[in-house]
Amino acid sequence: MNEPGFPVDSPASNLVGVDSVSRRFPLDHNYVSALTGVSFNVASGEFLAISGPSGSGKSTLLNLIGCIDKPTDGRILLDNVDTSTLSPTRTTALRRQKIGFVFQSFNLIPVFTAAENVEFPLLVNGISPAERRRRVAEALASVGLSDRANHRPDLLSGGERQRVAVARAIVHRPALVLADEPTANLDTHNATHLIDLMHDLNRRLGLTFIFSTHDQRLLAHAHRIISLTDGRVVADQLSADEFTPTTPQEGGSHEQVLAARV
Amino acid sequence: MSKFLLLAFRNIFRNRRRTVMTLIMVGGGVTGLLLVGGFFARMFWGLRESTINDGLGHIQIFTSEHFNREEKHVLDTGIDNWRQVAATVTTGGHVRGVAPRIEFYGMVSNGEKSSIYMGSAVDPVAEKSLGFSARLSQGNDLSTKSSGDVEALIGAGLAKSMNVKVGDGLTLLAVTADGALNGVDVQVAGIVKTGFKEMDDRYVRITLPAAQRLLQSDRVTNLVVGLDKTDNTDMVAAQLGPRLQGLPQQLVLKKWIDLAAYYNQVHSLFSTIFVFLGIIVFFMVLMSSINTLLMAMFERTREIGTMLAMGTPRIWIVALFMLEATLLGAMGAAVGVVAGNLFGSLINVSGIHLPPPPGTNVPMLFSVMHVPSLMVASSILVIVSLALASILPAIRASRLQIAEALAHV
Repeated sequence: MNEPGFPVDSPASNLVGVDSVSRRFPLDHNYVSALTGVSFNVASGEFLAISGPSGSGKSTLLNLIGCIDKPTDGRILLDNVDTSTLSPTRTTALRRQKIGFVFQSFNLIPVFTAAENVEFPLLVNGISPAERRRRVAEALASVGLSDRANHRPDLLSGGERQRVAVARAIVHRPALVLADEPTANLDTHNATHLIDLMHDLNRRLGLTFIFSTHDQRLLAHAHRIISLTDGRVVADQLSADEFTPTTPQEGGSHEQVLAARV
Repeated sequence: MSKFLLLAFRNIFRNRRRTVMTLIMVGGGVTGLLLVGGFFARMFWGLRESTINDGLGHIQIFTSEHFNREEKHVLDTGIDNWRQVAATVTTGGHVRGVAPRIEFYGMVSNGEKSSIYMGSAVDPVAEKSLGFSARLSQGNDLSTKSSGDVEALIGAGLAKSMNVKVGDGLTLLAVTADGALNGVDVQVAGIVKTGFKEMDDRYVRITLPAAQRLLQSDRVTNLVVGLDKTDNTDMVAAQLGPRLQGLPQQLVLKKWIDLAAYYNQVHSLFSTIFVFLGIIVFFMVLMSSINTLLMAMFERTREIGTMLAMGTPRIWIVALFMLEATLLGAMGAAVGVVAGNLFGSLINVSGIHLPPPPGTNVPMLFSVMHVPSLMVASSILVIVSLALASILPAIRASRLQIAEALAHV
């Protein structure tokens, strides 16, 4: 297990670097700490779960990595760029180009069809209409929803909506996909389907997934699990599936585990 | 851009009940403006035509001295060679005819009582050919034949104060062009109601030859030009100006709008009322739309947060809200234009009469004109109002903290 707050060197292979990050929120005349001294690195192509009980800081951590919030202390590195030093415009551009989001409640635009929802990130990225059509078709095919392209979200099941959300998150070919409790609103069948889908996209396309969850089914598929309690990292471990027999399941640092895998 | 427009358009219909209420409100505002503005326009048109046809004509010709100096005597600044001037004017296009006039004043007496009168001498033939007619309440118009007694039309108020009726005699006294006092006996041929009490208390109309005998002059005060259409006034006035320059007397043209003081007062008053009404509609739409659009923004907080999280520039959010409001305004304007024209047509066929307007005693037909420029102006007014109303919600939406917006329930 990593010692919480360990110094992060950010080698070129690391996609995400979380360096001594703390986040405090004002509450009345005081502050409440959501995260305290969190540090870890994420390499490209990882399928990483952040787990922990409610209020442990999972969503806050994803928000910080996703550049939709800023740490009170410490820094977040994305592709070796310190995101906390970026202007709002550059931060917006970074999110637009490098990050895809999957939300617990799907957060699809209700007046758009599935295809139009998937198209939206391409629209804001200024992709040409012809290219947009091609990529949307690809993305919907990759989540198995080609035949539901022209349906609005209210005509789709929960599982289908979340698959549309996944297609929307990957359509602009981001470096990183962040998913906040993606299976929380799904039944077992749909949750399993979604997990398999995300795992498949991770393996097939080499997409880096970071997701928060306490869904054991999803945790079972994760290469690596970072456990949070009260805003602190209490465990950073590789899952059994990914470990070689000689690799300890706990106790080794993430860098050690990765080195062992290599 | 088309997708953005599509998003804005579909967002309008997310909450149909609210959209319908907004369309009714905006459309109602436009309908109200069209009905009131159309009524005013009809009133202006009616007042304009009645003012012209009551004898003002489209253009009047005076000597330039008429406006430059005070007259020493009646017709001191009159037109000498008015027949030549009339012939010159009549040769132009769009001119239906020219009517000479003498405006004079003096004392009228029934033998027992005297009163001041304001006289107008006309050529009955020319007046009739131009369609100028006195508003008779009793008797007949002046005879077009020159023989017989001198006939006069007098105002209803003057007839009452002089205690005369049709067929009675009166004596008109006036100062001649040379400054001497002269008189002529007239027979009351008819009693007129001009619609203005002050006028009816003083009005006397006789024929031009009778007035020239009374005033001992061949001059006339002015020439009234009647055209085929009021809309041709400016064009004909522009053509006539140079043609009158070569005549012995220096003459000036006055268009009806320059002489219609009452029309101008009414136009100014009702235009101000209409502008005030427009301002009320503008603020009514503005304030109620701000509330509606803020509610829409509040309901879509999480969606806006999602769009911002996906890297949508904040200015796009502003543009989206403003586009939605502008589209809503355009649709409301369309509803209002259709409803306004429909209600206007219904009013026009209903034949409703309104009480006489101030200063007149004739009931007015409630009629509404369909004015394209008013439709455009009213539509622009509500569209701009809604676009302005969307600024506050749009800015608030664009400034949402993404993390908070995503957590919004």
